[in-house]
Amino acid sequence: MLVSWKWLSRYVDITLAANALTDKMSLSGLNFEGSETVEDDLVIDLEVTSNRGDCLGHIGVAREIAVLTDQSLKAPNVEFQASGPDASESLSVQNEYPEACPQYTARVIRGVKVGTSPEWLQQSLRRVGIGVVNNVVDVTNYVMMECAQPLHAFDLAKVASGSIIVRPAKKDEAITAIDHREYLLPADACVIADADAAIAVAGVMGGASTEVSEATTDLVIEAADFVPLSVRRTARALKLHSPSSFRFERRVDPAGIDWASRRACQLITEIAGGHVAPGVLVTGGPAPDRAPIILRRSQMERLLGITIDANAIAKILRGLGCTEDGTEHWIPPTWRHDLTREVDLIEEVARVHGYDQIPENAPIPVTPSSTRPFDGLTQRVRHLLTASGFTEAMTPSVVTAKLDETVSPWTDREALQTRTPMLEGAKRLRRTLLPSLLQSRAFNWSSASITADLFEIAHVYLPPDDDADGLPSESYHLGIIGGDDFRATKGVVESLCQRIGIHETLGVTRFDCDGFAPGTAVQLQLPDGSTCGIMGLLSTSLCKQFKTPGPIVVAELSLDALQSVANLVPQQRPVSPYPSIKRDLNLVMPETVSWKQLAEIVTHAADSKLAELRYQETYRNAKQDGDGQKRVLFTVELQSKTETLSGADADHVIHDIVSRAGNQLDAKLLS
Amino acid sequence: MSLQQFLDRLEQVQSDATVAFEAASTVDALEEARVAFLGAKSGQFKDAQKLMGTVEKTEKPTAGKRLNEVKNAITSAFETANERLSGGGDEAPDPTFDPTLPGIAPALGHIHPITQTIQHLAEIMGRMGFEVAEGPEVEDPWHNFVALNIPDDHPARDPLDNFYLATAGAGEDVGEGDRLLRSQTSTVQIRVMQERKPPIRIISLGRVYRPDSPDATHFPMFHQMEGLLVDRHVTMANLKTVLRVFANNYLGDEVEIRFRTSFFPFTEPSVEVDFLWNDQWIEFGGAGMVDPNVFRAVGYDPSKVSGFAFGLGVERLCMRRHGITDIRDLYSGDLRFLRQF
Repeated sequence: MLVSWKWLSRYVDITLAANALTDKMSLSGLNFEGSETVEDDLVIDLEVTSNRGDCLGHIGVAREIAVLTDQSLKAPNVEFQASGPDASESLSVQNEYPEACPQYTARVIRGVKVGTSPEWLQQSLRRVGIGVVNNVVDVTNYVMMECAQPLHAFDLAKVASGSIIVRPAKKDEAITAIDHREYLLPADACVIADADAAIAVAGVMGGASTEVSEATTDLVIEAADFVPLSVRRTARALKLHSPSSFRFERRVDPAGIDWASRRACQLITEIAGGHVAPGVLVTGGPAPDRAPIILRRSQMERLLGITIDANAIAKILRGLGCTEDGTEHWIPPTWRHDLTREVDLIEEVARVHGYDQIPENAPIPVTPSSTRPFDGLTQRVRHLLTASGFTEAMTPSVVTAKLDETVSPWTDREALQTRTPMLEGAKRLRRTLLPSLLQSRAFNWSSASITADLFEIAHVYLPPDDDADGLPSESYHLGIIGGDDFRATKGVVESLCQRIGIHETLGVTRFDCDGFAPGTAVQLQLPDGSTCGIMGLLSTSLCKQFKTPGPIVVAELSLDALQSVANLVPQQRPVSPYPSIKRDLNLVMPETVSWKQLAEIVTHAADSKLAELRYQETYRNAKQDGDGQKRVLFTVELQSKTETLSGADADHVIHDIVSRAGNQLDAKLLS
Repeated sequence: MSLQQFLDRLEQVQSDATVAFEAASTVDALEEARVAFLGAKSGQFKDAQKLMGTVEKTEKPTAGKRLNEVKNAITSAFETANERLSGGGDEAPDPTFDPTLPGIAPALGHIHPITQTIQHLAEIMGRMGFEVAEGPEVEDPWHNFVALNIPDDHPARDPLDNFYLATAGAGEDVGEGDRLLRSQTSTVQIRVMQERKPPIRIISLGRVYRPDSPDATHFPMFHQMEGLLVDRHVTMANLKTVLRVFANNYLGDEVEIRFRTSFFPFTEPSVEVDFLWNDQWIEFGGAGMVDPNVFRAVGYDPSKVSGFAFGLGVERLCMRRHGITDIRDLYSGDLRFLRQF
């Protein structure tokens, strides 16, 4: 909020230089955002937190300055002479919507001469960014900027039947506001109406039909309290935010409404002439008395860690407008809705006393803390992946429909959606990390011809099973994109598993999944058979869609699933002291035989003597072997834990492997 | 000479030669040994070879075969020794060897700067006894607002300021929803306090979401770190001390710290925390003493326990530390950016 130095000086003697003052205000709650010298005045921009509606007027800010600099506040005296017929003879007020408007007051001024405001008034408003309209409207704005109570002036002659009704908007009711645009009012909006139609959107903006003009002679001065939620919803719905709605949303002083109304009457009659009619039309209010709050010094010490002198406490609270109600009992001022509890008063005392008084040498007791196993796991995963040439990316959790629909290997249920898009129309909470990584890879290719091998560790959000509106199942996934070689990426996944203590080979099961090249999508299984991940080659059409060269291998692992079987504390396994014997084998077998089948045969035949089974290569020679045959080269390393194996022992095992492979897989040894 | 005597002699020469070659410690000594054993005129092997003539004719093939084997063995022993000794620099340097050529870099990946920052923060806080806690990113309004003392009419709940989720099926979504992407990691504090009794000393880290138009300093998704300490006697002086120690650690310098009055529904008193670093006050984040209403929401008695909480934006610290000027780079997946870290 913009405040003027000169304007503030009307209510408090400012004893500090500008810099010292704004520093002090920043530390005590009115954050200094900047300042500008306008003509011979200094205009200061202060950030007012949402609990301090009282500081949305100069008097509130002046009160803060007074308490911070040990000065007293000089609030203006309001005096005017009422004359003529009673206000109620020209106007009636009826409140049909007290939930939205707990208090409504109206005064009548007759015989004003609408015109331009005097220079001091225009200047005051201009400097704090309020447009100048005419002497009546300018006064209502001036009073709002003075005491934070928004006011509105109606042209009494235009108020049909002299009747003001506070009521909910009717269905499909519209109003032309003073900006001369038509607004369709939301169903629960609070409006001020006359006998015929809505004449103002309560707390938000006045209507054009009753606007004060040069021809106006008689006025209705509205001063009211509209509840924040109602004003906020209406302002949001109409996309119509005004200085008035801003203040009502932060609550006005319910006991200050009448003061503001009278202050406006005083200034209008001083500036625009006319006479205030005796009497005020009031519905609702007055605000209930504020309950006293107990403030114990022991509690203050307990929270702040310092002791503050009782006299200093009392001085601060009095300066802020609190009144004493017996020992340690304080009644907060009506404009401070945020002060209802002991802890609220503790904060008031602390902030004015100064947080610089709180020491920085109060250490907390020593206590052990340990790293979560999950953090140990992700650290190893990151190390392994970066050592393997993959770079960590972070991509938004919410994706576009286009991305979401590319692949969804984990669920067929539709993605959860946000109501408002996050970025570029993205509304869907991602069900897999792979589309985002594909997009990043494509971006790197299109912008710099870089083939980006990336990974990301982030939550995926799987829509809940049964309860459609429940919270989703969120778990940490590791997404990997990179390489054109399925085996190379699989090797990274396998090394990763070993690095986190999973030594068993992951099971591999083919499954159908859109977005993958036919037959290449597989689920990866833990020893207990549960799926811990998926991998495969993205389909050619998907690569084309993203204008990135293929083939592209992707993998996604559930880190939560891996953690359930990970062992981050490696256990030593004995190393055999006896020499091993390596034998290369070259078997020709039908194309349909998988490596897994062959490996099982070798494992069974060699049993405890198998030190390592290493795949070498596959090649095909249709001329010699016939169609549908392949040659698989591999190395078997044999070793005993208890003795030196002889060549004959090895020959025996190899013979067994060859004979089993021949019987079970129709494989033949090539010499 | 009998065959056996001949073979024994060969055996002796091979063994002596091998020992001599292995023992030679200079090129000169090796040359001496070479002349002694492999010398063309009077080397021991030559001498032995001459004895061939005295072997019975029928046994000559056996003797000849062995002679060859021994010659090969002695020659090979010499070459081994020669290789061993000649590596020492007597040879002329290889003119093609250019040690100034650049090394061949291994293909290494990079850890995201946000991850590095998070690890750094968690490590510093870990030394002060704070353990990491996490919670879901999709939350219900109770954890995101109610328990954090953010009442129904609070502007923080406005649908335009939060990513509420659409309800399943048809139907228009009006007002506030019953699920949203969390707007702060304080939700984790609530979940931890519901499950555990004090003392509690945690930091919660993770993604949070607020509708913000992306620009150099704003992004609708960012990371927060929040700390929470609850015990029987926790004061604002403890808070200030912990944050000062943290700042000294993180910035690697003695830094001044100050509290500015602020407002958060879940703390009272509430402050903004600034650090004086390189003669400039830097906004660090928000902090305060846990509001009694928050304690009540999780079933703690605010007259028996007190606590402090603080929260900060990870991106800002990360960007300042690494000189990053546009937050959007962090989430671009652009390798030209990522591989700098």
